[in-house]
Amino acid sequence: MSVYLYLSLIPEALIASMLSPEEFGVYYAVGSKKKSSGQAIFFQVNPEFRSKYFRIQEGLARCVPHEDGAPKASIYISVYRVLEHVPIAELGKLYVVTQDGRTLGLEHSEEFPVNDAGLHLYKEIAPVTPLIASRLNAADFFDLIVRNPTSLVTLPAVAFTELRLGALATDPVLGQAGDLPYTNMDHLREVLLDLKTKSVATKMVDRINPTSFSYRTVKNGFYVGNENGLRYYPMPSSEVLRTQHYRWWRSANM
Amino acid sequence: MDKFWLYLSVGASILSIGVALYLFFWVKKQPEGSPKAKEVASWIRDGSRTYLKRLYRTLILVVLILGFLIAIVFSFDLSKISTSQVAVVPINGLMMSVSFILGALCSAVAGYLGMSVAVEANVRTATAANESINKAFRLSFYAGSVMGLAMVGLAVLGMSVIFLITKDAESILGFSFGASTLALLAKAGGGIYTKTADIAADLVGKVEVGIPEDDPRNPAVVADNVGDNVGDVAGMGADIFDSYVAAVVAVMILGASSSRLGLNYVVLPLIICSLGILASLIGIQFVRVGKNGKPGPALNRGTVITTIIFAIMVTAFVLITSVNLGVIWATITGLGAGVVIGITSDYFTSDDRKPVFRTAEVSHSGAAINIITGFSYGLASIVPSVIGIALATLLAYYLAEINGLAGIYGIGISAVGMLSISGMIVSADAYGPIVDNARGIAEMSGMDHHVIETTDVLDAAGNTAKAITKGFSISAAALTVLALFAAYAEVVTASGVQLNMSLREPIVVAGVFLGLMTPPLFSALTMLSVTENAFAMIEEIRRQFRDRPGILAGTETPDYDACVDMAAKGSLSSLLWPALIAVGLPLLIGFVLGPNALGGFLGGSIFSGVIFALFMSNAGGLWDNAKKYIEAGNFGGPGSDAHKASVVGDTVGDPFKDTAGPSLNTLITVMSLVASLFAPLIAAFHLF
Repeated sequence: MSVYLYLSLIPEALIASMLSPEEFGVYYAVGSKKKSSGQAIFFQVNPEFRSKYFRIQEGLARCVPHEDGAPKASIYISVYRVLEHVPIAELGKLYVVTQDGRTLGLEHSEEFPVNDAGLHLYKEIAPVTPLIASRLNAADFFDLIVRNPTSLVTLPAVAFTELRLGALATDPVLGQAGDLPYTNMDHLREVLLDLKTKSVATKMVDRINPTSFSYRTVKNGFYVGNENGLRYYPMPSSEVLRTQHYRWWRSANM
Repeated sequence: MDKFWLYLSVGASILSIGVALYLFFWVKKQPEGSPKAKEVASWIRDGSRTYLKRLYRTLILVVLILGFLIAIVFSFDLSKISTSQVAVVPINGLMMSVSFILGALCSAVAGYLGMSVAVEANVRTATAANESINKAFRLSFYAGSVMGLAMVGLAVLGMSVIFLITKDAESILGFSFGASTLALLAKAGGGIYTKTADIAADLVGKVEVGIPEDDPRNPAVVADNVGDNVGDVAGMGADIFDSYVAAVVAVMILGASSSRLGLNYVVLPLIICSLGILASLIGIQFVRVGKNGKPGPALNRGTVITTIIFAIMVTAFVLITSVNLGVIWATITGLGAGVVIGITSDYFTSDDRKPVFRTAEVSHSGAAINIITGFSYGLASIVPSVIGIALATLLAYYLAEINGLAGIYGIGISAVGMLSISGMIVSADAYGPIVDNARGIAEMSGMDHHVIETTDVLDAAGNTAKAITKGFSISAAALTVLALFAAYAEVVTASGVQLNMSLREPIVVAGVFLGLMTPPLFSALTMLSVTENAFAMIEEIRRQFRDRPGILAGTETPDYDACVDMAAKGSLSSLLWPALIAVGLPLLIGFVLGPNALGGFLGGSIFSGVIFALFMSNAGGLWDNAKKYIEAGNFGGPGSDAHKASVVGDTVGDPFKDTAGPSLNTLITVMSLVASLFAPLIAAFHLF
């Protein structure tokens, strides 16, 4: 049996497993008798990857089948400061898993989305989880918090996604919220209005934002980066998801 | 004239049954689809049949016991029972008993046939949806028509044959009582079953675990789909069968007891029903999805065309046969009331109208505000319907009187007029659960996304038809029980007791209060049954998820039978008290407090029953559609705070609209029939 390495973002962890990415997604989301469950996002990591920060070899040695022959589902190698110590080049596909275990694999893209006018809303996924509104596009936002911070707050690495703002991106006051499910919409409108009227690039919307979020609110994809670079994992369009990944799409739209 | 028209009624009913059987076999000839689809359909089919067999086994016992009691009671010449010159006429008891059993049997056969075709048509509709929406719509609607046409055919055939044999309108009371007894248990039992499974499946599957509707990993998904068949097909069919027969028998009794009317007016309701059958048979041909592929307008077109054809037929019949012109006005009044109540249901449950929109809009303030808003609109929805019923009552009464017809007879005719197009109405109603099931089968058997989306479109039209049918059946029941109430008064008066219904009489006031109390009590019992059974099923679903993680991982198949079995046992065991209330309470009031109190009791139960039924059906539909409106991407869409609040409102509304609400019209019909049937005995023997 093959042994895989996974970098989980919710929660941040490096895990060895004998389950394939799809099997691991189901296991990780819906749990076992231990009742762990919930949305999951993880990268497949190059199985040859080794680092002085992690006892990977020891973890792989423990990842052996159970006595009944069943594959070992998970051996946690590290649960702390994982993202910053895994080089971006070692990351493979990104898997986004719904709370009921439907798994969708995303390839990274060399092309970044076209910058659009209007405000942005970023959901940081790891290592911290705040919700940030910004005037900056994704690359500039990443630059601000990882590479060239202008404030005391900085991160060695970050995984985040941009969430849809719809009409609020250009008109925070009168724009229709439509199907945006965010809580405390009035506060979000105030924050966005501040970005329009004051000379600040980013503002915190919610500092203790829940780790999970609705996939249907993802604007165009996921970003992961450290001081060496930024990588983009585009999300297929809703039409492609509906027609080619219907089960995942339906679960993601719950 | 009467014999000819009676034979015509028999002919029309046989034609209706024949077309139903033809469509039944036509549906069975259509391709079933993939082995997986067939397997999923077989789970639903087996669950539905098992439940119905259990229900009917219980009912056989109830029917035989009641039939035996009726045979004994009616073997005495009740018209002379107060004169101490009691004559024993066993043939009378036997006839009434046979009539009672026949009524229950016809209702059961119609329900079983309707449900049998529904569980055959669901998988075929899903398979047809893979080809085109037109094909899927035609198949599902024709399958629904089997229920509609079989129901009206069996009802008219049964009543016509009994009248041809006995020449006595009162003997059809037994037929009606049999149909009502079965309807009460089928409707309440089916309602408890369907909502038990629906609520349990949603609360654990959707809310706790986060799996979508109709996901095969949910252990209650088969029970949920079975519930659609036993509640919405067999239950609703039995319910309308009951109102249909009760309306006819009430008018026949009024016709027979009125010295101003001849024999023609006794068989007139049967003739009107026969014209309704013919109009429905024609109207069904116009139900086709056009190039725009919209099933909702197709169903509405069928109903409108049937109504127009029926109105023309009645007018022509009245003019040709020189029947009193008041019949035309009364019939049109009934049809008008049906339209008003249909529009009201549509207004209060459509997402493009203010009530649903506002209920959805306020949901972001929480579940409490959602519930208060929906509750308030539900209460407000009573107003136009009640005004419609009141207007129909007054218009039918006075237009009949102006034309020289007994006013109360006019009210009865308006109920018959409204119910005569039941063939079409029930066809549209039974279509709903068939496409709902088709959607479930498509989802569970892993069919392509476009099949699911096609069945979604079909399902949306089914939900609207369902809401309209509920309004229709409640208003029809309201007018029917008014006629039954008059029939009760006639029978009591004929037994030598002068009915005094003055509200200055304390015994009448007591009766009114007890009557007012009964529908809320009945609602409470049926809804508590839902919550108790759902509570047990929720634990079972959680247990399966907890003990067998492979279910959620998709590597193990859930134990569907466990939930199916729990829902069936739970719903049947919950029927005892509701049934006792329906049959026992009128007898208790009658024998203890007397016929005047019983009159007050019937009046009270009719008024609060209609109010509660309208309120519960409309409020439940409103909450349901407010949730769907949010799920369509408004006010935050799925997963938003507003959505979570609307899910709570929808769950509260589920037993309102599908368990208690639609069972209340059956309750008031059963109680009115029990009172009418036992009126001579109560007139002779009562404590006060």
